[in-house]
Amino acid sequence: MRTKKYLTLTRAGILEALQFRLSFLVMVIGNLLYLIVVYYLWKAIYASAGTEVVNGMTFTDTLIYLVLATALFNFMEMYTVWEIGRNIQSGKIVLDLLKPMDYRKYLFWSYSGSFVTQFFLTFLPTFIAVSVVTHGAVPLRMNLLYFVISVVMAVSINYSIDFIVGTICLYTESIWGINIMKQVIVLLLSGATIPLAFFPETLKTVMYYLPFQSIYNAPLSILLNGNPQPRTVLVTLGTQFAWCIAMFVLSKLFWKVSLRQITVNGG
Amino acid sequence: MKRKGFRFYFKIYCKILAQDLKSKMSYRADFIISTIGMIFTNISGFVSFWILFRNFPQIKGWDYYEMLFLYGFSLISITPVQCFFDNNWSLRQYVYSGDFIKYCFRPINLFFYYQSEVFDVKGLGQLAFGIGTLVYAWIKIGLGFTPLMLLKITVFLLTASLIMIALQNAAAATCFWIQNSFYVLDLAYRFRDYAKYPITIFSPVFRFVFTFVMPIAFIAYYPSLVVLRPDTVPVLSWLSPLIGIAFFYVSYRIWMFGAMKYSGTGS
Repeated sequence: MRTKKYLTLTRAGILEALQFRLSFLVMVIGNLLYLIVVYYLWKAIYASAGTEVVNGMTFTDTLIYLVLATALFNFMEMYTVWEIGRNIQSGKIVLDLLKPMDYRKYLFWSYSGSFVTQFFLTFLPTFIAVSVVTHGAVPLRMNLLYFVISVVMAVSINYSIDFIVGTICLYTESIWGINIMKQVIVLLLSGATIPLAFFPETLKTVMYYLPFQSIYNAPLSILLNGNPQPRTVLVTLGTQFAWCIAMFVLSKLFWKVSLRQITVNGG
Repeated sequence: MKRKGFRFYFKIYCKILAQDLKSKMSYRADFIISTIGMIFTNISGFVSFWILFRNFPQIKGWDYYEMLFLYGFSLISITPVQCFFDNNWSLRQYVYSGDFIKYCFRPINLFFYYQSEVFDVKGLGQLAFGIGTLVYAWIKIGLGFTPLMLLKITVFLLTASLIMIALQNAAAATCFWIQNSFYVLDLAYRFRDYAKYPITIFSPVFRFVFTFVMPIAFIAYYPSLVVLRPDTVPVLSWLSPLIGIAFFYVSYRIWMFGAMKYSGTGS
């Protein structure tokens, strides 16, 4: 009974996502275009570098990393900040707060439907295509299991961060600016645009202490490592787990405190 | 409808601009945060650029400062679309809600009136950033300076910016025909990120595609060659102003065609 209400939201999300088939097509074209640019850019970079391996990554590694980072991005981007921000501006948030479900949970589960569709429509095809194109350069062993665990935690951390940023909208009533700041910081510092291995040493150290690398860098580096040391896996997943809890608590507390702030104009 | 002169439109534009700025100033926090967000975007773009290319002395015959020149050029040429045509992003909502009909009843050019309603101040920060980058690269390359060069770069920057404007107009106009056209606009928006790479990194097929099918190469690559490599300027570079104007005109016709067949929502 308890899970049923969540799954209903998931189902509604799937149906909603399937309504917009054309936008899905446009999104696929956009991603293909991005991948073409990334492919040739890095090919040119590796050709000019003169060595096979740059910063411990081969061209194939880098390509797989970036392609799957894009796929992960499509999978994880939930536009939470926009949703919360718009609901605050329009006043609809009052209706959502009255629902017999925690707002944080409600928002998450109403998006879960697009997780399912995105997984089957973008992530899985991309993953299979990458494995085939690179002739099995993606190791398919235990790391696959670690990867799944890691992605689940990444989704959670990403959602918590989004929720915190969305809560800030309660104070500022600015959506675009807040959202773009979040997006820029997360994409750059998580290693989604450039693999973490390419960053200068000092910057890299700083980034390992921040939660963002747990979103993209952690799952992707676990996936690309065919024979990981048990210690590496433990440290990576452990760090992610710690951030998972920390961000969860933080986002919940922040929301609770901020809810007193809420001002709704009509609605 | 009687044709009205340039001066008339200029006067009207100033009046509308003043109103727009006043209304923006009433949401001061949003304005400040958005500006900071824009600065963030530019800094992060520059940081990724720096991280990517600091390791490599040259890429396919393009050294660091030449790439930087291209980067600065692309930033400047995508500024007008940000500043003057930002209202395209709202077109979708106006069309669906039916509010678009109000623009149809004014005795001035519909396209002009619609676009003039919003001036995006954030773009100015980007302009400053772009000019700074361009000047820095210009000095480092040692291109020298003559009034003719200044004239050339101004003309080519202006016409290059028409390409991005044209792409965005056409993309925004799709909302007259299809639902959920946000993704089309978003796709066009992403083109600006690809403009900063020299087209020579692509294979011949995609060089053709990015020149003639999706004219991304005309946003920065071809026009910048006129100043950057004056000894070997391809014909396409000299043609780029004409192409810019042609594309702008076509996009304007598409936009107007969509607007003219718009019949409102009946409310």
